[in-house]
Amino acid sequence: MLRFLIRRLSSAFVILILISAFTFLIFFAAPRDPAVLACGKNCTEAAKDIIRDNLGLNDPIAQQYWEFMRGIVMGRDFSVGRCDAPCLGVSFNTDLMVWDTIVDRLPLTLSLSLGGLVIFLTLGLGAGLMAAAKKGTVTDKTLSSMSLVFSSMQIYFLGPIVLGALVFSSGIMESPRYVPITEDPLGWFTGLLIPWFVMALIFTAQYTRMSRSSMIEQLQEEHVRTARAKGMSRPYVFFRYAWRGSLIPIVTILGMDLGALLGGAIVTEMTFSLAGIGRLAVDAVTNIDLPLTMGVMLIGATFILMCNVVVDAAYAYIDPRVRLG
Amino acid sequence: MRLLSTRRARTAVVAIAVGSLALTACGGDSDSQTKDDSKTQDDAKEQSEAVAYGDAEASKGPAAPVEGSREGGTIRVYQQTDFSHLDPGQIYVSDAGLLSVLIHRGLTTFVEDDEGGLTVVGDIATDSGTPSEGGKVWTFTLKDGIKDEDGDPIDSGDVRHTVERLYAKHITDGPTYLQQWLSGEGTKYREALPEGPYNGDHLPDDVLETPDDKTVVFKFDTPRPDLPQALAMAGYSIVPEEKDTKEKYDQKPTAIGPYKIDEVNSGKNMKLVRNDEWSAETDPKRHAFVDGWDITFNHDRVDQSKRLAADRGDAKNGIQFSGAVDTSQIKSIVSNEETNARTIKGYAPYVWQLNMNMDRIKDKKIRDAITYALPNADILRPDGGSYGGEPAGGLLAPTVPGYEKGYDPYGKIENPQGDIEKAKELLKEAGAEGQSLVYGYANVPHRQEQAIIIEKALEKAGFEVEKKEIDQATYYERVGKVDNGLDIYMTGWGQDWPSISTVIPPLYDGDQLADGSAVYSHINDDKVNSEIDRILKITDPEEATTEWQKLHRYIVEEINPAAPLYFTKQLQIHGSNVGGARYSSEKSYIDVSRLFLKS
Amino acid sequence: MTSPPQAATAGNDTTTAGESASLTEEKTDTTQGTTAGRSPGQLMWMRFKRDRTGVIAGCVVIFFFAIAALAPVVGWIYGKDPYTFYGLEDMSLLDPFGYPTGSPGGVSGDHWFGVEPDLGRDVMMQLLYGMRTSLYTAVPVTIVSVILGVLLGLVGGFFGGKTDYWIGRVTDFFMALPSQLFLISTMPVVVALFVAPDKETPVYVRFLAMLIILSFLGWMGMARLVRSATLSLREREFVEAAKVSGASRWRILRKELLPNLYTPILVQGTLMLPMAILSVAFLSYVGIGYTEPTPDWGRMFQRAGEIYQDNPVYMLFPGIAMVIFIVSFNLLGDSVRDAIDPKAGR
Repeated sequence: MLRFLIRRLSSAFVILILISAFTFLIFFAAPRDPAVLACGKNCTEAAKDIIRDNLGLNDPIAQQYWEFMRGIVMGRDFSVGRCDAPCLGVSFNTDLMVWDTIVDRLPLTLSLSLGGLVIFLTLGLGAGLMAAAKKGTVTDKTLSSMSLVFSSMQIYFLGPIVLGALVFSSGIMESPRYVPITEDPLGWFTGLLIPWFVMALIFTAQYTRMSRSSMIEQLQEEHVRTARAKGMSRPYVFFRYAWRGSLIPIVTILGMDLGALLGGAIVTEMTFSLAGIGRLAVDAVTNIDLPLTMGVMLIGATFILMCNVVVDAAYAYIDPRVRLG
Repeated sequence: MRLLSTRRARTAVVAIAVGSLALTACGGDSDSQTKDDSKTQDDAKEQSEAVAYGDAEASKGPAAPVEGSREGGTIRVYQQTDFSHLDPGQIYVSDAGLLSVLIHRGLTTFVEDDEGGLTVVGDIATDSGTPSEGGKVWTFTLKDGIKDEDGDPIDSGDVRHTVERLYAKHITDGPTYLQQWLSGEGTKYREALPEGPYNGDHLPDDVLETPDDKTVVFKFDTPRPDLPQALAMAGYSIVPEEKDTKEKYDQKPTAIGPYKIDEVNSGKNMKLVRNDEWSAETDPKRHAFVDGWDITFNHDRVDQSKRLAADRGDAKNGIQFSGAVDTSQIKSIVSNEETNARTIKGYAPYVWQLNMNMDRIKDKKIRDAITYALPNADILRPDGGSYGGEPAGGLLAPTVPGYEKGYDPYGKIENPQGDIEKAKELLKEAGAEGQSLVYGYANVPHRQEQAIIIEKALEKAGFEVEKKEIDQATYYERVGKVDNGLDIYMTGWGQDWPSISTVIPPLYDGDQLADGSAVYSHINDDKVNSEIDRILKITDPEEATTEWQKLHRYIVEEINPAAPLYFTKQLQIHGSNVGGARYSSEKSYIDVSRLFLKS
Repeated sequence: MTSPPQAATAGNDTTTAGESASLTEEKTDTTQGTTAGRSPGQLMWMRFKRDRTGVIAGCVVIFFFAIAALAPVVGWIYGKDPYTFYGLEDMSLLDPFGYPTGSPGGVSGDHWFGVEPDLGRDVMMQLLYGMRTSLYTAVPVTIVSVILGVLLGLVGGFFGGKTDYWIGRVTDFFMALPSQLFLISTMPVVVALFVAPDKETPVYVRFLAMLIILSFLGWMGMARLVRSATLSLREREFVEAAKVSGASRWRILRKELLPNLYTPILVQGTLMLPMAILSVAFLSYVGIGYTEPTPDWGRMFQRAGEIYQDNPVYMLFPGIAMVIFIVSFNLLGDSVRDAIDPKAGR
């Protein structure tokens, strides 16, 4: 297990470094000058040069990169103050520490994705199991066709429909908003209910489909059939043998979904006017904000890589045939 | 050209909006030919008078009473993005400009009457300044009893510091009028004090003199009749010397105005509370009816509009700061009597125009043909239609003194669908049928839509149009390059204070043409250049205005460097419990200096 | 809730079959087992024809492709095109706020799906041409991603060793990229690579930019699937036999391995297409895809999202079309998979 972790973490580390270098290069390849945005009316070349100097953009790219990477480990000093490790720099646009900004936005993204996850995983796996157990019945057909339709929907289509129905025309609910759970647990819950609901509709449908087909596949596996033939009870075989096996593909997809969600659900946040990591990422790119772009890119990649490691570790737990190392 | 905090929103070029002309609530008739229902729209006065300069009496506090006002409560503000800056020296754009009314004070400020008429008065100075030597020397005396939030008095040393710190390298975003007038054009002024006042260097007495604790004297080499108005800009608000923390000041400035910052969570929210050291007796402009302000960010325009229109809970006490009713919400808000009563409307100071690169389109006939061909009303549609603006006939906004209502040499108001026939004719006369034009536009949805409308109209008139999309964030930098490779491109410009001197010189003075200048049309006409120099020196505002008007007509009719497209309008909504709401023609947003809560 | 991963999950079964196979290599690949006697293609076709849902879904998908490809013909019959501003020509179509007048969304005998707010273009034509744009972009993206994925997967799986290791690392790298953010930040760069600063960006350059970026981000699943399948095939007797009889590596790849991989490639490919369509729509939704006046499906959603309160009809038609299309595609994918692997027996 330890060897597995060390190996995976070190390769994740290398990938992160590559991604950071890649992002840096792409940033400088873009024909966009960040100094323009911090330059007042009648912005002259000389004025822009002063800003570039302030931002440190006049140094060679390699040096800028080196300083950025060193800052992550050692921290850096900026004119607006000390930036402690892990220092992702200071945003060009807001003059705030990128790390603080990300930490500030993270609770929303975490609440949104983890809250949604709990709902859609419970409902999705449950419905999938039910459909698989009652394969061919009306329950199965209803669940399957509903999940087929919802899984084919997009947030930017379903979101406005739900908002329109529940908020703007009927006034049953308030517009989605984020309140920290520590301040007002009830407000936190009600504020995010609509995004969760919409996410859950779409994702539940996908997980229902997945869980159903994976279950059906498993139930036909030889070891499962053998178990039944040996006279073990149906529920026992169902949960102890088949369900466990059916989780493997689901865990893979779950890992991918979760990684992507934690890295910022851009469309969800845009549809519901929520300001999490996804919105931050879009802002960073539109505002030509290098440190912030680097920050969100690295955070996003870290989540994806972490989820991969967790997924692989989970395999070993679910499927005894898989050995780590 | 800093793009305002709502960079992604509809506004583009932004200066601090200092409008002059007010829109009286008399509901004048709209003179556009399109049938529209925006007749309830306020109308600009036919012509505005120049801004009055107030004397010591007018500069005394307290501010004029507000009917029905009561004290107490907290106003909720819904904003899209965090304020771009809090350090006064960096403030040029409208969002922070509005906040600065509440926390900062300058040497002078504008006060506004119920009709929107503006007077420059002394804010921390006893009057709007005393000129001598024909306007080359200006003397200000400070009021007694002005203190910062810690109770420390403000003296002339603080004013000196405020000016000198603008020369330091970390100040990049703010206005540069004063520095340039004192120490040289362009960025040359920075050489006078490269490190600012921070290592003990100061401007010499023949530039800025502070003979005693209460007196400040500015000395220029040419008359600067507009100085009191320039000093009223948020960018010249006072930064007390002992409190200045250089770059860090942008996070936590020291308040002199009626409120101080209690809590800031950058990018999320800000809370203002009363500044007990502020005294209403010294302030001719501001009231402080409410106990505090609760500002939250990340509400886009749609969200702001919907929350305030719904008027539930907190939103009853809510206002928009620099946001406006989203174009998608205008219909539902304006057509509902109850919500419509809670809106404030007025002209914003921006004129959108289609610049014609005169280095590339040299024949005036071709420029006229383009001007005639444009369907102004259609072009306005994606930007909010008749509630977002109205077709422009000239290049001056209704908010600037000297605007002539109904001035329409190219028939853009009379015939807002464009005159394709006339354009064809002119193009034929010029012998340039099939002339190809490169049209540059910012790559955002409504500009894309405008691009295809313009493309279609010009192609009907016999041009070939090549559209070039430009990244929104760097749009103004790109079109501001002398060698921009484009023929036609839209820009919007708003005055810095209500005077044509902040519109015509930056946009049409060929001597200023350089990369990054605002002479987008590359006009370089000897007569225009010399007239600008001449009129800038006229000290009598009335006379100057008349001369500017003449020059404006000359530019539009004889040179035609840019086709007028449309003026923009402001439409904001507030909660039902907010009282005292009116349009501020100075800021072109809701007037935050006089708001109260009804219960 | 990101479109690409979402689409990835929509096609879970096959992807995961490949994924899990690659992770638990001792599990033998079941899709290859039933090839004795008749050709797998014939068997598959027979089974597919029996599946009524699949056939209907297939017809719907073909219908979508057909109307997209034939959009100009439809426009000719219908008498409209997607570029004319009907609402600006006929002022009665739009009210002063820019919204369609009359019935909701301006639906009428002249404009079956209504007119677009502000500009007054015909919504049905916008939608048909928009679908055309999406499909014309998504199909090449899918093809290029499939080719890339198959090539890298085959090479990695067949040669093994260092080659496999490095291809694996490259795959890991691309899989760890936050894909949506990557799309947003690279689009302008790639477009700028092709276009002189004062020239209009031709539509084909945007197309190429999307093709490059989306294919770059789209091949990894396929590569992993093909690699794991190749790994198990490599050890089979017929490959050994070919090696012994002196066939070149190239010939083995082409003649021995590839034919056995057609079915999983086909299944995975059909799943990648809707994913590509959604990615193209995502790009337009965030404002970096095709620009006006190129009609575009995703941009319709972006616009509709702003105005759905006052004009819900504008969202209805593109939305329903998208749901029907993706549902049919998923059903078709299920049927194809069933036809290939009847064991799954749904």
